[in-house]
Amino acid sequence: MLSRISPQTLRILALLLVLVVVLLFFSTQVPNYLNGRLFNRISSSVAIMALIACGQTLVILTRNIDLSIGSVVGFVAFATGSLITNNPDIAPFILATYSIFLGACFGVINGLLVAYARIPSIIVTLGTMALFRSALVEYSDAKSITTNNLPTWLVDFPNTQLFTIGTFQFRAAFVVAVLVVVAVHIALTRLRPARKLYAVGSNPEAAEMAGINTKLVVFFAFVLAGALAGLAGFMFLARFGTITVVAGLGFELKSVASAVVGGVNIFGGSGTVIGALIGAILVDLIDMSLVRWQLVSEFWREAVLGALILLSVAADAILMRRLVKWRAAREKTKTKSEVSS
Amino acid sequence: MSQPVLRLNGISKHFGMTKALSDMSIILFPGEVHAIVGENGAGKSTMIKIMTGVHKSTSGTIEVDGDARTITGPQAARDAGIAAIYQEPMVFPDLDVAENIFISDKSSGLLMRPLIQRKRASALIDRIGIKLDASRIASGLTLAEQQVVEIARALSQDVRVLIMDEPTASLSAHEAAQLREIAKTLAGQGVAVVYISHRLEEIFEIADRVTVIRDGSHISTKPIAEVTSDGMIAEMVGREVGNYFAKAAGTVTDNIILEVRNLTLDGVFADISFDLHQGEVLCMAGLVGARRTDVALALFGITPPTSGTVKYKGEITDFTTPRAAIEAGFAYVSEDRRKLGLAMPMAIKSNVSLATLDDFLSPFGLLDRAKEDKVAHHFSERLNIRTPNVETPVGMLSGGNQQKVMLAKWLNLNPELLIFDEPTRGIDIGAKAEVHDLIRAFVADGGAALVISSDLPEVLAMGDRILVMREGHQMGILDTSEATQEIVMMMATGQMQEAV
Repeated sequence: MLSRISPQTLRILALLLVLVVVLLFFSTQVPNYLNGRLFNRISSSVAIMALIACGQTLVILTRNIDLSIGSVVGFVAFATGSLITNNPDIAPFILATYSIFLGACFGVINGLLVAYARIPSIIVTLGTMALFRSALVEYSDAKSITTNNLPTWLVDFPNTQLFTIGTFQFRAAFVVAVLVVVAVHIALTRLRPARKLYAVGSNPEAAEMAGINTKLVVFFAFVLAGALAGLAGFMFLARFGTITVVAGLGFELKSVASAVVGGVNIFGGSGTVIGALIGAILVDLIDMSLVRWQLVSEFWREAVLGALILLSVAADAILMRRLVKWRAAREKTKTKSEVSS
Repeated sequence: MSQPVLRLNGISKHFGMTKALSDMSIILFPGEVHAIVGENGAGKSTMIKIMTGVHKSTSGTIEVDGDARTITGPQAARDAGIAAIYQEPMVFPDLDVAENIFISDKSSGLLMRPLIQRKRASALIDRIGIKLDASRIASGLTLAEQQVVEIARALSQDVRVLIMDEPTASLSAHEAAQLREIAKTLAGQGVAVVYISHRLEEIFEIADRVTVIRDGSHISTKPIAEVTSDGMIAEMVGREVGNYFAKAAGTVTDNIILEVRNLTLDGVFADISFDLHQGEVLCMAGLVGARRTDVALALFGITPPTSGTVKYKGEITDFTTPRAAIEAGFAYVSEDRRKLGLAMPMAIKSNVSLATLDDFLSPFGLLDRAKEDKVAHHFSERLNIRTPNVETPVGMLSGGNQQKVMLAKWLNLNPELLIFDEPTRGIDIGAKAEVHDLIRAFVADGGAALVISSDLPEVLAMGDRILVMREGHQMGILDTSEATQEIVMMMATGQMQEAV
């Protein structure tokens, strides 16, 4: 039965297994751990990171990286906040579109520099990370967006309970994030052009030879990542209300961590956004559970988080290798028996 | 015959000053297997690259179905129905077979339907006459299976000219036979197959016509029935030797430096045996896939042999690391300057001292830059490296001068045995002669050199003896005095073997 499941699905199953193990572990360490409140907390906080990790995954698939993504989230959150503060009558849909468009514009800058100016993405986005952040500082003029100035529909939006299952509350932000990730996942697995993303990351030379416009593919990956970061900026504004110049700081590395924990190959070519979503959940879960774990002091939390990330990636890699080996062995015996019969 | 599907008219291609192709004309008919043969560097690869749109020709025209057309890029070539597969296939390791085949397919719309796609892939694979599961991930495929994937990809794009460049060079005998079957099947379906191979027996098995090219020029195109292997070889090698290399007087002594017996690396080469004397230049000749470089790597401890003995100055050695070989007095100058030889962005002097950094330490353990300068200047003069100064990054030098820097780096070790892999590839004739003189001077000074070269006139001019290899086997050792280009080529293509 197992041999019919694709390696990608296997990887997701392995991740879910790791997730369950982490949950079980903390439930033995933290009193009153497994309940609806844990779900509600994680789901609200992961909603933003899931979108960013999803965009990051698109870029990593093409053998690139986007370190400017946190600055984009911060800038978009601020710009969207100031737009709605000054024009409180803008319709929700228009406002969200504005955020996404603005994010995509940042993506265009990254994409042009990486794909067409042929500058390595780590250098480009390291530069634009600082540039976009400085642009935010300049633009904000040292002021902050505050919740009081935002319309109530916006502030209420992320916590709107769409439905509940037992004590599990499904809030709008989380549902939107999951819907977006699922939509991107379906696009990645079912749309022909999306396959080129994998092709370019898998073997760029072969992609070029096969007539794929590799530059365009990389460019689009950055634009989409920017657009998703823009949407995340919108959600960030709605959730926190108060936006300062440090909004979204550190998100770039957390998004890379989520993607990698989620089984996205840092050298490109393989991985899924569903994996990245689970990765984001896993990182967030560990982070949040550590706060409640008495055994670990405040100072060691980062270290333990780092170690656990490494551990989960290693566990995932070992698990995958075992499974692949086991399947290869099975296939061999299968073909042997076919030959002999 | 029917109308030609592809026709090259007087194609020339220059890279800077070098002429890779001159006035090349060739006509391909649907349904034929057209073999193209020539020595290493005869211009076969350049010709393929022009057909597939990777390179643009300097002059000449290309006709597809009788219409003159400029092939502006790889996409235009594909649109015209021209595809190529190579010895090293180009697949996407993370995608499955069907996805690999249809990666750039335009006909099937935006939505992917994996099941339908796999069915179509299976149909194409069936057409090739092979069993291969279309849902397998490409990273687990053998080389032969990857080639099948590439052929299927070409078929999916309605290929009419399929170029196979040394497709069987890395395959087992069984797989190679299967691939030749595929070539014949496709020709039977009306595809023009261009088949490039060094294995002459393959060509006699499947080709309808044979074109010989030499030094970038078309020599002949004949039906296979009118061709003999001797005639083909004579046309391949018929290059003017002239006085283009002055041969140095023999400096060979009776003192055996290296004694190799039955050296074998399982699955790569077998039973290589030779002696190398002090003062001798032993050249290794052979075609692509002869495994000469692998023998060199084995001697140098990079990939230790599985059996056989190597005696160095009378003592049995078995190096398992290059470091051990270097300490014993070996030097290996790689054929791949860019990848394995030089640090291109670094200065000449830093490259020269790189292999011997320990000798350049000052008493305080810092790098002695004055000494570095001095040594680099010394070699720069001795080897006549043409450069403004020794600070110049190696990447800015010409190929010939780069080769000399590489030689300087190794001579600085004071080696006794120099293994030189393709010492003059891609460098101009003047620089070639200089490199030859340097190697000659090295052996005259008491060293010994093993030189791997695909340049036959070079082998004949500077070797004292010639060891000819073919597909991992030693075909014989010739004295230069009794060797001719034809004899060497007959041995390299397996038409002749020295009685052992």
